[in-house]
Amino acid sequence: MTATLDFLRLLKSRPVGLAGLIGIVLFVVVSFVGPLLVPLDTKVDLTAIYAPPSFAHPLGTDYQGRDVFNQIIWGGRDIMIVAFLAALLSTVIAVTFGSLGAVVGGAVDSTILAITDVILTIPRLPLLVVLAALLRLNSILILALIVGALAWPSLLRAVRAQVLSLKEREFVEAARALDLGLGHIIFAEILPNMRSYIAISFILAMTQAIYAQAGLIFLGLVPLSGTNWGVMINLAWVRGAVFFRDSLPYILSPVLAIALFQLALVSLASALEDIFNPRLRGAA
Amino acid sequence: MNASPLVELERVSRQFETPGGTVTAVNDVSLVVRPAEIVCLVGESGCGKTTTGRLLTGLARPSAGRVLFEGRDVWHTRGAEFSRFRRAVQIVHQDPYASLNPTRSVFQTLSAPLERHRLARGSDTQRRVIELLKLVDLTPPEDYLGKYPHQLSGGQRQRVSIARALTVEPRFIVADEAVSMVDVSIRISLLNVLIRLRDQLGMSCVLITHDLAVARYFGRQGRIGVMYLGRLVEVGETERLVADPAHPYTAALIAAIPEADPLLTRGKTRVPLRSAEVPSLLHLPAGCSFHPRCPRFEAGLCDIVVPELVAVPEREVACHVAVRERAGLVTAGR
Amino acid sequence: MSILAVEHLSIAYQTRRGAVQAVRDVSFDLDQAETLAIIGESGSGKTTLAQSLVRLSPRSATVTNGRILYRPPDGPQVDVRSLDEGRLRRYRWQGCALVFQSALNAFNPVLTIRDHFADTARAHGMGDFREQATELLDMVSLDARRVLPAFPHELSGGMRQRVLIALGLLLAPQILILDEPTTALDILTQRQVIDLLRTLKERLGFALVFISHDLSLAAELADRVITMYAGRIVETATVADLFYRPRHPYSLGLLRAVPRVSGALGNLDSIPGSPPDLIRLPPGCTYHARCPFGVDDCLKAEPPLLDVDTPAHRAACIRWQDVADAVGSFEPAAVGV
Repeated sequence: MTATLDFLRLLKSRPVGLAGLIGIVLFVVVSFVGPLLVPLDTKVDLTAIYAPPSFAHPLGTDYQGRDVFNQIIWGGRDIMIVAFLAALLSTVIAVTFGSLGAVVGGAVDSTILAITDVILTIPRLPLLVVLAALLRLNSILILALIVGALAWPSLLRAVRAQVLSLKEREFVEAARALDLGLGHIIFAEILPNMRSYIAISFILAMTQAIYAQAGLIFLGLVPLSGTNWGVMINLAWVRGAVFFRDSLPYILSPVLAIALFQLALVSLASALEDIFNPRLRGAA
Repeated sequence: MNASPLVELERVSRQFETPGGTVTAVNDVSLVVRPAEIVCLVGESGCGKTTTGRLLTGLARPSAGRVLFEGRDVWHTRGAEFSRFRRAVQIVHQDPYASLNPTRSVFQTLSAPLERHRLARGSDTQRRVIELLKLVDLTPPEDYLGKYPHQLSGGQRQRVSIARALTVEPRFIVADEAVSMVDVSIRISLLNVLIRLRDQLGMSCVLITHDLAVARYFGRQGRIGVMYLGRLVEVGETERLVADPAHPYTAALIAAIPEADPLLTRGKTRVPLRSAEVPSLLHLPAGCSFHPRCPRFEAGLCDIVVPELVAVPEREVACHVAVRERAGLVTAGR
Repeated sequence: MSILAVEHLSIAYQTRRGAVQAVRDVSFDLDQAETLAIIGESGSGKTTLAQSLVRLSPRSATVTNGRILYRPPDGPQVDVRSLDEGRLRRYRWQGCALVFQSALNAFNPVLTIRDHFADTARAHGMGDFREQATELLDMVSLDARRVLPAFPHELSGGMRQRVLIALGLLLAPQILILDEPTTALDILTQRQVIDLLRTLKERLGFALVFISHDLSLAAELADRVITMYAGRIVETATVADLFYRPRHPYSLGLLRAVPRVSGALGNLDSIPGSPPDLIRLPPGCTYHARCPFGVDDCLKAEPPLLDVDTPAHRAACIRWQDVADAVGSFEPAAVGV
């Protein structure tokens, strides 16, 4: 509890990070609690196609007269779930195998590195396209799985490098001398000293996942129905929303939503890096 | 004191590959440590004392020679027996700021080995941790359980390190410069903790240090071993060795060390060395590696033949001249 | 006539938890060609003090009180704190040079030793430094031809310390300040540096101040010794007075805590406890909690420096007489005292 309060206090002096945290909380609340309060507007009103912003429709309407603001509220949830799950998957894989390879060394390390490097050399987007063609990406879980499964290699190399340097610290050597076992050394000695690093990597992995999703959806490779910021962009594009001045809110809103959410994530990550590095903390 | 050896280094060497070539950090070192014995390994940087400490604890493997624990070669034993050796010899590091995990409390650090090796369980664990804290003079022990390393002073951290080493009930502790980074005014109390553990628990202790004065204090009931460029050049009982050094390098060290006493230190006669340059471990001089600097150098002998560590009265010394002069004492009937 | 006079200097650091009183009301004089040792352990304030003498304190440090008066033999007295940029630069290095510990981070790793000399020379308006540099390196027993083109990591710790000393002497300063000059050096290298400092001082005649926790260094070189504890001077005396007739319990405690190689081992003991929190200082004498001579009166007020035995010998302890009596039975290991 005190750790959380301490953390919030440190964040207070870093307005950018605080703004980021507030932004994330706002987005999450709107995207998860909003849909419980506001029913999805599916009423098709062909008389109000691409209506400009008004009191009834703060962000205008889409190509079928439906309220854009309503769709923005509903559109974040899937994106966030996929981002979270994908980041979780890639972080868990990277941390487990990166630290395992670094601590054990030898053939195990070489094997892990070889697999990592192979995947790293494959261009990600084309691979995603191929996978999209082969699998039926009709559930967000599978999407999360794919995005996450391709994101871990670069993170693994970074984690491994960190662990390699921590491995030489004296308290780790003491743990070896005390015969405390591989599991203890990795999970109780080394990883807790990388908490900040892992947290920041996780947040940045989320931003990567959002980009990956948005890209896939925009390319029309993901047959997701239901409302979703990425789907909104895709539909807006396909339906020619860029060509009408009145319909700009329809295509800009989801773009801004994604961009602002990403900005909030990155702001928090940069403040975290500052907080967790005592040397960057300044005179205090 | 002729108990069978606890840990023995039998002609061990340890080599490292560096971009400049092969470095022999420890060169043909033989050393015996008996139960409840105190030994200080002294030398300057690059002499190999730290590597020797790691060889003693099994944290480094020798390139040649054998490391014996209770008579058995530890690097040729299987799992359980090697584990037993590992636990019997523990290490206390130099840097109080790096030797404890900053994310774990004192209780977590001390309880982990106890629980892992089933030396205590449940409520027993806390009792045992408190006992250990008392052993290293951290009182009142309850105050320290929840503390994190950054909340402790350097001396307190070193005591926690010692307590951690004691959790697995070792027979032998290697203290690698364990008091060098601690305030001068509390070094003695830390050393006294280790000495008391020897008296109370029969634990042997090897202190590695570059500070001869600390070695003399700590080893006053034990022995000192002097190392130079990877070799053990002199070993003997502390008070006798300090009063009457056999090896010219030891004599030079004792004469060179400044003392906290103006008249004593300004009046000390130095042992002049022929050269101030310390040879690199990559290009060791032929014969005795000290010969380019040695005031007792004899051409044709010291620069050709490597002196072995030979037993003379009260001492073992690796120096042709010293052996000749002292071994003669035996035959002269003294 | 003293060449440096520090008067009631107080320095504090701002931290999140509060103001750290690192240096508290420190006053001392340094005579020309004198060697002064400032002895203290962690938290004593000695490094903060050394940095302030050349105005190299970190930005979070503020001088809350006091003056640092520099009295050059060929000029008027100046308050170091009030010097402008130009005069400050002349003061630093020509008046007073600070030599850091020989750790690698005292050097710029991508510059050769020659570059370091060149930078210093250029910064202080010195033209051709090569002759001076070669001569100085020779004085510190280094081969200039080998050392000048080398990078810092190519030199051993002892060599680096000697280079730093030579650098410090480049502009022939009146005062040389050394921060922990022999810490982390091997015995034989320490001996070299100590003998070197002695010789240099005899030849060049500068005043020498060194900051250390190492009492034996003071015993070797110092004319006068100051012991510091928790930011204050607790004793100031000639070297013989401090080592053979200490009057402050902390000085006595330190002497009893240092083992010797030659001579009798003596009754050694550590000082129990730890230094006080410099943010929330305890009332009265800050050493009281660890002091075997402490009484209730000690808690009333922080004792000022009192004259003991002779006016040149002062100790901040109201019980100094009892310390004197205890020392009566303290035998120095040297013969013929």
